[in-house]
Amino acid sequence: MIISKDNMGALADAIGATQTVYVPGTERAATRFVAHKKGEPVVLGGANVRMPPKDLLFPATEKMYRWKKHEGQLSLETEAAAHEPFTVLGVRPCDMASVAKLDLVFLTKGFVDEFYQARRDAATFVAVTCVDPDGDCFCEAMGVRLDAAPAADVLLVDRGGAYEAKPQTEKGEAAVAAWAEALGAGADAAAGDAVEAHCTLNPAAAKAEERLRAEDFDNVWHSVADYCLTCGTCTFECPTCYCFDISQDVRADEGARFRCWDSCMFTQYTLMAGNHNPRADRASRVRQRFMHKLRYFADRYGEGLCVGCGRCIRDCPAGVDIAAIIDAVATAPEHELTEAARTVQADEAKKEAAHV
Amino acid sequence: MSELVLQHGCAKGGEPYVPQVCRVIDVRDQTHDVKTIRVQTPEGGLPFERKPGQLAMVSLPPYGECMFAIASQGPDYLEFVIKRVGFVTERLHELRPGDEVGVRGPYGNWFPFDSARGRNLVFVAGGIGMPPVRSFIEYALEHRADYGRIDIVYSASTYDDLVYKDDLFQNWPKEPDTHVHVSVYHATDGDGWSGKVGYTAPYLKEVFAEEGLATDNAAAVLCGGPSLYRTCREALLELGFDPADVVTTLEARMKCGVGKCGRCNVGGVFICLDGPVFTEAELARIPR
Ligand SMILES: Cc1cc2nc3c(=O)[nH]c(=O)nc-3n(C[C@H](O)[C@H](O)[C@H](O)COP(=O)(O)OP(=O)(O)OC[C@H]3O[C@@H](n4cnc5c(N)ncnc54)[C@H](O)[C@@H]3O)c2cc1C
Ligand code: SF4
Ligand code: SF4
Ligand code: FES
Repeated sequence: MIISKDNMGALADAIGATQTVYVPGTERAATRFVAHKKGEPVVLGGANVRMPPKDLLFPATEKMYRWKKHEGQLSLETEAAAHEPFTVLGVRPCDMASVAKLDLVFLTKGFVDEFYQARRDAATFVAVTCVDPDGDCFCEAMGVRLDAAPAADVLLVDRGGAYEAKPQTEKGEAAVAAWAEALGAGADAAAGDAVEAHCTLNPAAAKAEERLRAEDFDNVWHSVADYCLTCGTCTFECPTCYCFDISQDVRADEGARFRCWDSCMFTQYTLMAGNHNPRADRASRVRQRFMHKLRYFADRYGEGLCVGCGRCIRDCPAGVDIAAIIDAVATAPEHELTEAARTVQADEAKKEAAHV
Repeated sequence: MSELVLQHGCAKGGEPYVPQVCRVIDVRDQTHDVKTIRVQTPEGGLPFERKPGQLAMVSLPPYGECMFAIASQGPDYLEFVIKRVGFVTERLHELRPGDEVGVRGPYGNWFPFDSARGRNLVFVAGGIGMPPVRSFIEYALEHRADYGRIDIVYSASTYDDLVYKDDLFQNWPKEPDTHVHVSVYHATDGDGWSGKVGYTAPYLKEVFAEEGLATDNAAAVLCGGPSLYRTCREALLELGFDPADVVTTLEARMKCGVGKCGRCNVGGVFICLDGPVFTEAELARIPR
């Protein structure tokens, strides 16, 4: 199915007839995914939205349960419930890759997050190939392709004046069939060649990950800590950052417990009773952010936690640049091994010796 | 002697965030700032089965929730030992029998009580590090024939700060081949303490020398605050323990308890889900 770019508004109108459809737009002074209003134009190209789509699956604040206390008796009522179906139209490959990573976090390793799952099950993701990477984009270095989005239900391939709609899941098949019916002749536009684009920024991520696994880069973390403000902007607008706090409103006899986005850049994040804080200094928090992105997540889930969307580079008020840090790590002169790496090496050597 | 085998990431599948309502059935003072609190379901049953070493989140609306080691599991109750240190624990200390709280869990992994069978056990704990360790002591005493000699080395700041005094001075010493060694850091005249005064690590070494203890065919279980942990870990290794035979339970600030919120992340592991129990050999491989 080929849909003319001029027809994207009509497509959103058609999907919007039965469910909410989120499209790239501007709301509350930032570009983000906004609920489409019938009749408004929809443009999928140009710069990616500033706020990633993660809040559609994992809202910035989300009620988890309500509680009531009556004469010492406590009652709890979960807020987990099935979610109304919705579609997200025009997600870039980097952001689609981030959804696959959030899936790993919330849906695997023992516990399933029922709140995330309800939204995830309700969502249809329509991704669009990216033809507009800017100078801060480096998704290719992080294993993302500009012309593919394997986690999406439908992929729109940019073919000049039109998009070719390729369903990639059962949900996607059903969606595309419904669009064909709704759009009629509008689903049969003329198509040019698929537009090809590449990132100009290409940090050596694989090398950096390998070196972070062995060497101690404390000098890098300290130098970043000298100018990072630990404001948390980078983590809040990162499509893959998922840390959250759990808190409550404090009324005497009824209220709700909710979760909200949190940031490993904040001092309180790891603060324990008696003022004990394992990450009290800024450098240790900077280290945590980059180590989690570039190495720990891979240790746990087999892939990194940065999709190279460039948001944190664009919006950091202090000019902290993850791509530059990746390259700094990759090309630095040899550093000392970390204690953990030395232990691992010694263990391997012992095993080798035992085999001989 | 077979290797100690720890499972990681083994708690799974339960309700992740929403607690069940439980009723407080017993509140007891342990020290001036530590209380034992027992909870059961409103119907009078056990909230859930736990294995020794596992954790639970106790929540007290509207104040918040805190993670605790499940110190003990009775036929129809769970027992927590709670030190008053801040906002929520202050409120938890105001609980009376009949009050209701939220409890969710069990979270985390457990002590290697299976693979440690046949070994001598050395428990080392300080202050409020006793509750998790106690869950294993209790299990070992219930299955006394499965384990060798048991030594419990426990210290607290003062005599008053020792928790589970009944067990320390009356119950446990009566168990077969079970030896309890207690020290306090500070003693004053008339505080009721006439025993050893000294820090845990040197005391632990003294106990080993005096009792002629050996580290072969033994497992050590360690839990305490940061400085006790550091010094006793060193002492255990100096005494000749292999890092693979030293088991410890870690603490980090926690919110979700199910490996999602990111708070308790150290290296590639989440302490709430993969821990809290690790061997020193495993910890040595985790970057910090
Ligand atoms: C795995 C584990 C097992 C524990 N077992 C016990 C136990 O058996 N007995 C016991 O008395 N205490 C135990 N603790 C510590 C207990 O959770 C904290 O003392 C308690 O959360 C402090 O809460 P607060 O609101 O009174 O203190 P505040 O200082 O007012 O803390 C505010 C918030 O900080 C967090 N926090 C503060 N201190 C800690 C801490 N030490 N660990 C984790 N989070 C913290 C909590 O989210 C708390 O709600 C354990 C902690 C962990 C992580
Ligand atoms: S946005 Fe920049 S200054 Fe703010 S915490 Fe992130 S790296 Fe530091
Ligand atoms: S770390 Fe920065 S570049 Fe990487 S995914 Fe997050 S916001 Fe994008
Ligand atoms: S407490 Fe949330 S990940 Fe461990």
